[in-house]
Amino acid sequence: MPIYLQRQIDELKKQILALSAVVEETFHEAIRSLEHTDVSLADTVIARDHTVNEMEVDLEEECLKILALHQPVAIDLRFIVAVLKINNDLERISDISANIAQRTLGLATFNPIPIPFALFDMAEKVESMLKKSLDSLVNLDIELARDVCQLDDEVDAMHKENYSLVKNRIRQYPEQLDPLIEYLSVSRHLERVADLTTNIAEDILYMIDGEIIRHTY
Amino acid sequence: MRLRFIWQILPSFLFIILLTLVLLTWLFSRALSNFYLEQTSAGLETRASLVAFQVADSFTTGDFEQLDALSILIGEETATRFTFILPSGVVLADTLEDPAQMDNHAGRPEVAKALKGDIGKSTRYSNTVHNNMMYVAIPVKNNNQLAGVVRAALPVTAIDLALDAVYRQIILSGILVLLLAAGVGIFISRRISRPLERMRLGAENFARGDLSKRLRVEGVQEISALATAMNAMAAELNEKLKTVVRQHNEQKAVLASMVEGVLAVDTNERIIRINRAAAALLEVSAEEVQGRSIQEAIRKADLQRFVSRALSTRDPVEGDIVLRGSEDLYLQAHGSLLRGESGQEFGALIVLNDVTRLRRLENIRRDFVANVSHELKTPITTIKGFIETLQDGAIQDHQSAVQFLEIMMRQADRLNEIIDDLLILARVEQNSDQDELPLENLPLNPVIETAMQACAKMAAEKQITIESYCPPGLTAHINAPLLEQAVVNLLTNAIKYSPEQGKVLIETTRSEKDITISVRDWGCGIDKVHLPRLFERFYRADKARSRKLGGTGLGLAIVKHIAQAHGGEVTVSSKPGQGSTFSLRLPAKPIRTP
Repeated sequence: MPIYLQRQIDELKKQILALSAVVEETFHEAIRSLEHTDVSLADTVIARDHTVNEMEVDLEEECLKILALHQPVAIDLRFIVAVLKINNDLERISDISANIAQRTLGLATFNPIPIPFALFDMAEKVESMLKKSLDSLVNLDIELARDVCQLDDEVDAMHKENYSLVKNRIRQYPEQLDPLIEYLSVSRHLERVADLTTNIAEDILYMIDGEIIRHTY
Repeated sequence: MRLRFIWQILPSFLFIILLTLVLLTWLFSRALSNFYLEQTSAGLETRASLVAFQVADSFTTGDFEQLDALSILIGEETATRFTFILPSGVVLADTLEDPAQMDNHAGRPEVAKALKGDIGKSTRYSNTVHNNMMYVAIPVKNNNQLAGVVRAALPVTAIDLALDAVYRQIILSGILVLLLAAGVGIFISRRISRPLERMRLGAENFARGDLSKRLRVEGVQEISALATAMNAMAAELNEKLKTVVRQHNEQKAVLASMVEGVLAVDTNERIIRINRAAAALLEVSAEEVQGRSIQEAIRKADLQRFVSRALSTRDPVEGDIVLRGSEDLYLQAHGSLLRGESGQEFGALIVLNDVTRLRRLENIRRDFVANVSHELKTPITTIKGFIETLQDGAIQDHQSAVQFLEIMMRQADRLNEIIDDLLILARVEQNSDQDELPLENLPLNPVIETAMQACAKMAAEKQITIESYCPPGLTAHINAPLLEQAVVNLLTNAIKYSPEQGKVLIETTRSEKDITISVRDWGCGIDKVHLPRLFERFYRADKARSRKLGGTGLGLAIVKHIAQAHGGEVTVSSKPGQGSTFSLRLPAKPIRTP
C-alpha cells in the first residue's frame, strides 16, 4: 500500500509542477503583453485562466482523494496540505495575471503615456520571486524559500512608493487620470502576486520543517 | 550448510576402506578356522586310526589294564585325549579320567556314528575337561567284527587363540590403513579444492568487473581446462564490454554534437537522456535533470504539454513550442514514441529545432517591407495631395500656394534624405561585403572634431553643450568620412532626444583589444524592449515622436554597417528617463593589412 501511496504522491507532484509551469508562463505573458501593449497576447492570457481553473480543481480532487483513501501522516500529510494551499495560491496568481492582461486591454484604448514608476523593474522582481518559490518547490530548497519571504518586503516598499508617484502624476496631469489608475492597479496586482509567492514559500517551509512560520516575517 | 569438499569425500573414503577390512577379516577368519578345523580333524582321525590299529587286539583279548596304560601313555605323548569304548558304550580307558567314573558313551553323537561303522566327528563342550573339544571317533574292527571305538579329542581353544592373534593383527593394520587413507584423502581433496578455491576468487574478481586479471592454469586436467575456459570467457567478456562502451560513447558523442536538441523521456515522463544542445536551449544542466520527471526538471508548460502529447499518440507528432524568458525562444519540435526490440513502448524521443533566428529574420523582413513602404509613401502622398489641391485651383491663391510649395519642398527633401541614406547604406554594405573599404591609420581626434562641428548648429539651437574627451594622438585604422558619418548620426540622435540646455558627452577610450567611442546623452532614454531591434532599418522605438523630430529611420542602421565595415560593432545601453549610451567599438589592430 505505501508504494501505491508513493506513486500517487509522485503523480500529485507532477501535477502541481505542471500547474506551476503554466502559471509562471501566464504571469510572464501578462507582463509581456503589458510591455508591448500586445492585445492578442493579453487575450491569450485571459483565455488561459480557464485551463488553470480546471487544473486547480483536478489537483484539489486528487489531494482529497489521497487524504480520504490513504490517511497519510507526517511528511506525506504535510506535502498534501502544502500542495492544497500552493494550488490555491497558483490559481490566484493566474487570476491576477488575467487581471493584468485586462489592464493591458484597458491601456491599449488610451494614448500611450510615460509609465509613472519603474513598472518593469517591479515586475521583474516579482517574476524572480515566483521563479524562486517554484524552484524551491522543485528542489525543496529552504534557502530559496527564505529568500522569497525577504524579497516581499522590497516589493511592498515599491508598491507604497508607486502610490505616491501616481498621485503626484495625477495632480500634474489630471487628463491622464484613466491610464494612471490602470497603472496603479497593475502595481497593486504585482504586490498581490508577490504576497502569494511568499505564501507559497511559507507553505514549502512548512512542508519541509513542519513549522508554520506565517506572520513571522 | 554446504559441506567442504574434504568432508564430502573423506567419510565415504573411510567407509569403503572399513567395509573392505571387515569383509576381508570375516572371509579370512572363516577360511582360516575351516582350514584349521579340517587339519585338526584329519590329524585326530590319523591318530585315532593308528591307535585303533594298535589296540584292536587288546579289545578282543580284553586286556583292559594295558589299554588304560596305553591310553595314558599315548595321550601324554601326543597331547591328545584318547578314549577307548566298547561297542556297548562302556568306557574302557581314558587319558584323563578314570573309566569307572565315566557314564555310558554310546549316546555321544561321534560314538554313535562310529558304532554304526563310520567315522564320527563332533565339536562340543566337554563336561569332563570343561572346554570346547573336537572329537573324532573311529570304529575298531577285528576280523570284520566291531570290537570297539577309539575316540581322539583335542581342545579347540587353540584355534580361538590363533584366530584372536590374527584378528588383533588385522585390526592393528586396519587402523594403520585408515590413518594412511585419511592422510591420502586429505591430501587429494586439498589438491583438488585448492585450485578450485583460487578459481572462485578469480571468478569473484571477474564479477566485480576486473576482467584484466587471469586465472592460473594448474592442477588436474579437468580443473586446468576449467581455468582455461574461464580465462577465455573473461577475455571475451572484456572484448564485448569494450565494444559496448565504445558504441555507447560513440552514440553519446553523436547525440552530444547534434545541433538539434534531443530529449528522451520514459513512459513516466522521466528524462532518460538529454543532449547538450537541448540542455542549452532549455537552460538546464544535463547531469542534474537526468532521471527526474520533466515537470520537475523543465518548467516550460508548452514543452510539458508536447511531451505528454508525444507519449499519448502512436504517430509522430510535430508542434511549435515557445519558451518564454528574457528572450523568447521559438522551437520546432518533433516527437515520436521509442519502441524496444519487441515493439513495446518505453518512452518518447523529442527533437527540438531552434527556429528563433528564422522567426526573427522573418519579422525583420516583414517589418522592413512595411516600414520602407510607409516611409516612402508618406512624403509622396503628401506631395501628391498638395499637387492635387494646387491643380484644383489653389494655385490661384498665391499665399497658400507658396505655403504648399514649401511643404512639398520639405517632403521632397525628406525623400531625398531617405534615398541618400539608403545609398550610403548600400555603399557601405557593398564595400564591406567586398572588403574593399579603404582603411587608413589616422588620428581619431580630428574626425570627432569635424563631426562635432557638423552638429554644432543643431546643438546651438537647443543650447546643448557637446563635450569630447579623446586622448591626443590616438589613432585607429579607419575610413575617415564614414566614421565621421557614424559619429554625426549618433550625435544627431543624442541632440534630438536631449532636453534643452542639456549635455552630450563623447568619450574615446582605448583598451587592450579595441577603441571605444561612446556618445552619451541624458535624454528620455529607450525602453529595453526596443534595444535589440534598434539598429534595424526603419525601426522606430516611438513611431509618433521620432518622425516628428525628423530623421529617416536609417541613421543607426548606417552606424551599424559602418562599424561592421571597420570590423567593429555598435552597442547601446539605456534606461528610460536616464538617457542612453551608444558605444562604437573599433578593433585596436587593423582587421586586414591595407
